[in-house]
This record gives sequence, structure tokens and C-alpha cells, in this order.
Amino acid sequence: MELTSGRAIDGGLHLAGVAVMGLVVLFLVVPLLVTAVMAFDARPYLGPLPPPGLSIRWFVQFFSDDTFLRGLATSIELAAGAVSASLLVGVVTAAALHRLSFGARQVLMTLFLSPLIVPPVVIGFALLLFLSAQGLTNGFWRLLCGHIIITVPYTIRATLAGVSGIDRSLTEAALALGATERHAFWDVTLPLARTGIISGAIFALAVSMDDVSVSIMLTDSRTYTLPVALVSSMRANFDLSLAAASVMLTGVTIVLMLVLDRFVGVNRIIGQGMFR
Amino acid sequence: MSAVIVFDDVTKAFGDTLAVDNLSFAVEAGETVAILGPSGCGKTTTLRLIAGFEEPDSGAIEIAGESMLGKRPYERNIGLLFQHYALFPHMTVAENVGYGLKYRAWPKPEIPARIREMLALVRLQGFEARKPGQLSGGQQQRVALARVLATSPKLVLLDEPLSALDAKLREELRTELKQILGAVGSTNIVVTHDQGEAMSLAGRIFVMNHGRIEQQGSPDDIYARPKTRFVAEFIGRMNWFHGRPGDGAHGRSTLITDTGTRIALADPLGAGRWSVGVRPERMAVIAPDVPGEHGNVLPGTVAETVSMGSEFHYRIEGADGPILVVETNTSGARVRSGDRVLVLFAPGDCVPLLDATD
Repeated sequence: MELTSGRAIDGGLHLAGVAVMGLVVLFLVVPLLVTAVMAFDARPYLGPLPPPGLSIRWFVQFFSDDTFLRGLATSIELAAGAVSASLLVGVVTAAALHRLSFGARQVLMTLFLSPLIVPPVVIGFALLLFLSAQGLTNGFWRLLCGHIIITVPYTIRATLAGVSGIDRSLTEAALALGATERHAFWDVTLPLARTGIISGAIFALAVSMDDVSVSIMLTDSRTYTLPVALVSSMRANFDLSLAAASVMLTGVTIVLMLVLDRFVGVNRIIGQGMFR
Repeated sequence: MSAVIVFDDVTKAFGDTLAVDNLSFAVEAGETVAILGPSGCGKTTTLRLIAGFEEPDSGAIEIAGESMLGKRPYERNIGLLFQHYALFPHMTVAENVGYGLKYRAWPKPEIPARIREMLALVRLQGFEARKPGQLSGGQQQRVALARVLATSPKLVLLDEPLSALDAKLREELRTELKQILGAVGSTNIVVTHDQGEAMSLAGRIFVMNHGRIEQQGSPDDIYARPKTRFVAEFIGRMNWFHGRPGDGAHGRSTLITDTGTRIALADPLGAGRWSVGVRPERMAVIAPDVPGEHGNVLPGTVAETVSMGSEFHYRIEGADGPILVVETNTSGARVRSGDRVLVLFAPGDCVPLLDATD
């Protein structure tokens, strides 16, 4: 008797769990789907779902809008610059952190990862004040500084995870075979931390492309990122070219994730279990 | 003969723990020495001191007459075979074997031939393009050995070289390893906690405990004549009898145990409390009615018979506690649990150790 009622409760809980999960999935996916459908709406105004016809007019409008194109160009340049810089900083920092004692490493890690905890608006505002005081008023360089700060935690953390996963005896084997610390780093540490480094770069790219809160503080009238351009355009005249932009950003993100999965997946095949 | 490596009063502590305590030893060219001890005895620290991954707090380390103090690992001409091989997983077998050649300034045109030569030595021709992940444990072990020996190091360190392999493969590789090291003629130090590994590979064994060498000598010598209870029990098993020597010139060659058992010894004992050890395989079990002169004869009851396949382990309860007797399985088990038996052993097989003087 007891057993049966216990089972019934377990079954009920299981169902409830599935239901909650289903709701969350709907909540996450439905808005994206609605946006995707609306981006292809043929009507020239914002009408109710479903759209009576499909067209790519909003995509055309997006690419004929000078503001969006300038924003897109800035975003791409910025992402390229910020990701390269934070990749370099991330690898150097992670390599240095890895050699420190546990305590010192924890303290410095917390410091380096603080941009994840400090509200982005605060970072943006603080940076704006600081850079103005230093006489740096060029919008692009200001944005670059901001984007490096918000992307560096991702590259450091991912690289450190990659470096920490490497068996210490591999580096020692290289040293015992005559390689200097420098050679051992190039020959052994860097190639084996590759997965971590690549995933860090992809996260950094996504963060840089998506950021609004920090960027909005650091833009000037001529230099602004795509997300900032989208936000201002939404305030001024709301139309569905925003939906088209969202669909394209989502597409880029999906491609990035596929690339990441491919690299991590490929690495899993090359390096087998015990060597990771 | 010249010493390849000399340790002179080397001490190394980690915090409050003394890992290596005033350690001194020398290893001659062409010799294979095993440093044998339990985990935490300082053997791994000794290995890391030789390799240059640790610096001593005090004392001197010389390799081939040259002081190693302050020298980085890559400035010492030593080879290190890691317990888990530490092959570079992203490099091929050939790249692994050739790695040291590149940095030890081997003439570039000769490197491919050297790699082939080393792979032939470990019988892995044709594996050049494989990655370590595609090899079995035994093959990885041989690649690691080829990588270590390729640069002809002055000294080869082997860290638990066989412990990562399963029992059957271990036997095979032990023979092969010994053969290869012999063919190359290198000077070797094997660091291990496995007495079988130490005894089969080394010509001389240092038994280490608490950061010191407790006894050194040939494998046979250490097995037959351990100087301390630790050495006796670390290398094989011992049955112990505790007591004092008997009286008179003749009685001095007899141990009288705390329960009154008399055990005849080959040599007279000095005054004091003694422990006398006897190896289980130097004892025999017979039925009580077998006549003859047997040296020491202790009565007891068989408490347990365990078959290990090639040998039997009998646990016999006697007046002085349990006695383990190991017999080769030549004709099946000769006694059963509950049998009253006699345990026999010769006075010459008794190892007396002084516990305390009076």
C-alpha cells in the first residue's frame, strides 16, 4: 500500500517537473519564433499574427538604413579588436595565474572576473568618466576599452580551464627532455589548451556583438554599435527591420555555437579521456 | 668506476614535513639502483630533486661530477620515465620520440634515423604516425622509454615504471625493460613502492623510510638479512617471535619467547629483548607423527588454508600467535583447517633483530 502511494507521489512529481521544463522551453523559444516569423511579414505596418504574406522587405530595409550599416561595421571592427586583445590578455593571464599558489590564484581570479559581477552600466559610466579625465574622447577607442573589459573574463576563465586540465607531468616531461619553460609552453600547454582558448574567443565574440549596457555609455554621435543603433531606432520609429536584425544576430550566434561544438567535439575524438 | 650521481647530506622539507632527511648515496656508471619505500617515504621527492623539479634546502647533488644546484631540469642531462608515461597526446609517436633530440641539439639530419633506431629498440617499427591515444598501455610505455633513451641521457630515472600496467603485462614488460636498459647500458634509478619491481630490475636496492635510506644492498642480501623490522616487513612477509636469549654459553643461541617456546638460532644473541623473524616460505608444515631431526619444531593448529593457485598459504595458530607458512603447490594442499601440525624451520633461517638492550 505504502509502496504504491510512494510511487504515485514520485510519478506526480516527475510529471510536474516535466511540465515546468516544458513551460520554460516555451517561454524561451516562442518569443524567438514570433520574432522570426514577424521579420518576414509582408505588411508595411505592425499587424497581428499570423502575417498574411511573407517577404524579405524588412531585411532589405535594414541593409538600406545607413545608421544600421554604420553600427554593424563598428560592431564588427570592435568585436575583431576586442576579441583579439582579450584573447592575448586571457592566454597570458591564465598562463601566469596557473603558476601561482592556490590562494593568490583565487584572489586574482576574483579580481579578473569582477566585470561579470559589477553592473555593466556602472562599468560603462566609470570608464566614461575615467577615459574623459585621461583625455580619451574618441568613441571607437573608448568602446574598444569597454569591450575588452567585458570580454576578458570569458577568455581568462575558458583558457584557465583549458590550462588547468593539462597534466603537470606533460610540462615536466618537456622540461626533462631539454625544452625550456618557454618552449614547453608553446609545444605542450598552448596546443592542449586550444579547446578552452577557442571557446573563450567565441564567448567573447558573442558578448562583444550583443552588448548594449556598456556600449551605450561610450558611444558618440558618429561611433555606435549595432545593438545601440537598434535600441535608439526602436525609440524613434519602431518597425520590423528590428526583427530582421534580431533574426540575423540569432543566426550568427547559432553558427558560432555550431563552430564551438565542432571544435570541442573534434578535440574529444583526438585527445582521449586520460590525456585531458 | 665513477659515480654518475652523488647525493651528499641532502635535505628537503615541505613546510614542517621533512621529505628527505640528510640523504647521502652514490650510483656508479652502468648500475641500476632501486629506491624502494612506501608512499610518503621521500622517494618521489628524491626523484624530483635529481630531475630538478625541486631544489634541496641543504646539501649537494652532483651529476657526473658537476654540481646540479640551481640547474633547471633542461640543463641536466637526465631522462625521466613517468609513471603514466606523460606522452604528448597531440603529437605522433615519432614526434614524441624526437622531441628531446630537437632540444638536446642532436644534428638535424640524423634525427629521423635516431627515431627509427629507438622505435626498433622498443619493437614499435611502423607506429611512427600513430597518436598516443591509439596505443595500448604497454605500447605507450615503450614509446615513453624510446623517448627517454633517444637523447642518451647520463642518468635514467624510472618512476614506478610498471605500476600502471595490469599484472600479466607487467611480467612481460619487466623482462623487456631490463633487456632494453641492459642493451643501452644506461645508469638507472628506479623509484618504486613495489618490491617485485625493485628486486627484479635493480642490482642494488635502497630501502627508504622517513626520508632516509634504512638499508642498502643487493636484493638477496636485503631479503635474507633485513636490518630493521621495517625493511623485513616491507620486502616480503615475516613471522615474528619475541623474547630474550637463554642462559649460558650454549643457551645464548636460543630465543626463549614470552610464552616459553625455545627457538634455536644459528648464532648467539647479546643481552636484551629480541624479535626473531622467519620468512613464511622458509617454513614447512608436517603431521605430528613424522619422525626425524627438524631444527625448530613448533606445534600448532591449522586455522585457515588459502590457495593462491601456484602456492598455499597456511595460517597456523601456535602458542606464540598466528604463523603464516607458504608452500609451493606441488601436490595439492597437504593439511586442512583444524589439523594438528608441526611447523618446521632451520635455525639458519631465523633473522634476529634487537628491540632493546637491557
